[in-house]
Amino acid sequence: MKKILLTLALLSPTLIFASSSTELEGGFKMGPAIILLTILVLFVTVGIFFKAKDTNDFFAAGRKISKIGSGMAIASNWMSAASFLGMAALMYGSGYHGLAYVIGWTGGYVLLLILMAGQIRKYGKYTAADFIGDRYYSKPLRIAGAIVAILISIAYCVGQFGGIGLLFKWILGVPYALAVVIGGSVVLTYTLISGMLGVTKNMQIQYVIIIISFLIPLFLLTYKFDYFWLLPQAGYGSIVSDIVTGIPAPEVPGLINSFGNDFAIMPSPEYAMPWDPSSGQTFFQFMAISFSLMVGTAGLPHVIQRFYVVPKVRDARWSVVWGLFFICILYWSAPVYSALGTILSSSPEIGKLSKDAIVVYTAQLGNIHPLIVGLLAAGGVSAAFSTVSGLLVAGASAFSHDLYVKVINPSCSPEKQLRMARLATILMTIIVSLIALLKLALIGQLVAVAFSLAGCTIFPLFLLGIWWSGSNRKGATWGLIVGGGISLIAITYFIAGKFNLALPAHEFINYWLGAWYFAWIGAPLAILTNILVSKSTEKTPLEIRKFLVEKVHS
Amino acid sequence: MENNDKTNNEEYNISFFKPTTKVAKFNRNLIVTLVLIWAISIFGFQILLKIVEKQTPEKAYTEYKSVRDNLKNGNADNKDKQVFVQSLLSVLGKITVAEKDKEILNAAVNRVVFELVPETDKAGFIAKLDNFKSQKTSDPNYPKLKKELADIAGKYIGVKAYTLKAKLLVSELAFAKSQEPDFDKTGLVMKKYLIHNQSFITDFKFIGFPFHYFYTAVFLLILFVGLCLYYCIAIDVNMKKMGIVEE
Repeated sequence: MKKILLTLALLSPTLIFASSSTELEGGFKMGPAIILLTILVLFVTVGIFFKAKDTNDFFAAGRKISKIGSGMAIASNWMSAASFLGMAALMYGSGYHGLAYVIGWTGGYVLLLILMAGQIRKYGKYTAADFIGDRYYSKPLRIAGAIVAILISIAYCVGQFGGIGLLFKWILGVPYALAVVIGGSVVLTYTLISGMLGVTKNMQIQYVIIIISFLIPLFLLTYKFDYFWLLPQAGYGSIVSDIVTGIPAPEVPGLINSFGNDFAIMPSPEYAMPWDPSSGQTFFQFMAISFSLMVGTAGLPHVIQRFYVVPKVRDARWSVVWGLFFICILYWSAPVYSALGTILSSSPEIGKLSKDAIVVYTAQLGNIHPLIVGLLAAGGVSAAFSTVSGLLVAGASAFSHDLYVKVINPSCSPEKQLRMARLATILMTIIVSLIALLKLALIGQLVAVAFSLAGCTIFPLFLLGIWWSGSNRKGATWGLIVGGGISLIAITYFIAGKFNLALPAHEFINYWLGAWYFAWIGAPLAILTNILVSKSTEKTPLEIRKFLVEKVHS
Repeated sequence: MENNDKTNNEEYNISFFKPTTKVAKFNRNLIVTLVLIWAISIFGFQILLKIVEKQTPEKAYTEYKSVRDNLKNGNADNKDKQVFVQSLLSVLGKITVAEKDKEILNAAVNRVVFELVPETDKAGFIAKLDNFKSQKTSDPNYPKLKKELADIAGKYIGVKAYTLKAKLLVSELAFAKSQEPDFDKTGLVMKKYLIHNQSFITDFKFIGFPFHYFYTAVFLLILFVGLCLYYCIAIDVNMKKMGIVEE
């Protein structure tokens, strides 16, 4: 009897969910909701067990994390809603052009490793603003650095909250706005409970959940539709080629999607051909996006901050290798969802789908077991959560540590600093939720704005600050003004465009300084300005140069 | 004293391009090499793709071009019209087609198919179509009606009932709602969706992939991990060789 009850209990979510398997949105989905709840309870429990005891724990996890653990945390921190949902969405919508995001978000790690990781760890500062204020011996620059770090965290979080809203909407069957509020409240609660130590531990668990939930449906889908399923990441070439040449409908019904449509597609070379006219994207935009995302990667405060949590300099370097490898597992897989999703959704009966949810829709259209689709959606939520928590900690650190303690109230107690960090976390969550409700762009594109901002502001300061002792306060200030100015212009035009306000030369600016790629020119100009001004003004103080020689490059 | 200060000032300088120690020189050379490999592999390849690309039309575009003038001038026979509709359906079947472009193509498809339906069949066909359009996709009769209509409509445009084009045509037809076709705009839309940037690199297949796709989506990521791995190993080996122990 007990066995029967247990079986029924386990199957009931499946049965409830199965009834709506051919509705891509539908109402409340019990199975996925239970999976999501279980995962969230696990996160909060881990957060409580590894709760931050003091500010050292909160900001840098007490430097107790191993290099593989840190690599997993880097990957989990990195694998956001933009990676989990957004990347497949970009390729689904614009084919080969979407690969600019794939290489942009991975290629930047090479720069991060060889130009930054070890040296940042040697410099030994907690936050990006700490580094900037110290290296450029300037309080105003510290404040500017902290403000930029907060802005980057907010811009980055907006895309994540969009993803959280989308998945909560799908699982709970509630309107998008309510889903954003519910998801935002949950992520806020557990970030406040755990701090970075809990977050880092959670990130390791989250990585495992994210990657398993992403891979299982992929193996099942490729197996089901008769593609090379043993290693779909390398074997999906025939899916791409099938899309290019087209799959004719069979005379006798064969493979079908969950709507009963044939597994068939018209020849669609635009899916794989570079900068195809139908995508509306050009060669320049492909290059500019790749470059901007790469320099942005090496300038993101919450990514740079991860190097403070490893015990040794060598660990900082190796954690990047592990991190990138773990990240690539997902990045090799995302295009497979996009390719299969393209075929499975090609029938007109499916209608226009929300691109950002194509990963989940692909699994549904492929008739994967509802509970596995639920696990996939829960994995997407985990991906967004892991990144948001890291971003909120980075933003909170910038506020409480760099602005409050270092500028406003240097004599405050550690308890008060922790309280300020928590207050900043709450404020940021509210701001981000409000912006996310506006649905300004695709998740991946919103996140790319944060990358360009980081590439124009933080990246030049770190690059020159580490590798050229000649870069001084005035050079850094003017470099930041130029980089920040370009960012301001690009973002202002983007927002004005969203509200149908035509500013002067808006077409020209929107193309050459697109919101997702303005760092292509902003970063080089900020670097050039920094160099020119530094060369024509006073030398960097001896103590800074001495520190660079003896501590950072020794 | 002044001289000592001057010496100190000059000693404590870091410049990536002017390394002063053996370790710094090693680091500089390693970083420059890796950045060059990184940049050429990423941007060099895309530039190569751009240089060798040729605007290549799909078969559907060539067919469309062969009949479009006849359609525009009103000299088209039924065979021309069938080829015309089939080529337009090749675009309407793409998932990337934008709504405004779809409307332009739909208008042309509806007009030409209406002309292809024999006068004696018109009333019956329209009635069947209206009945089908009133059904929801979840209605049990929907697949049966769709198949019946695809069978009839397929004959008008010269394709078999089970083909994608026949099924697609049924979904696209809506005579009552159809607008006046604009053949000039239709031509622009066809060009936009049926001409692609192709070359020997995109045509060459590697483990099933178009080569450029494999290179960008799979190989570059392997290369990035490889570059990072090489860097870490090279630094570790060099540190060991020089007897340097990091904190």
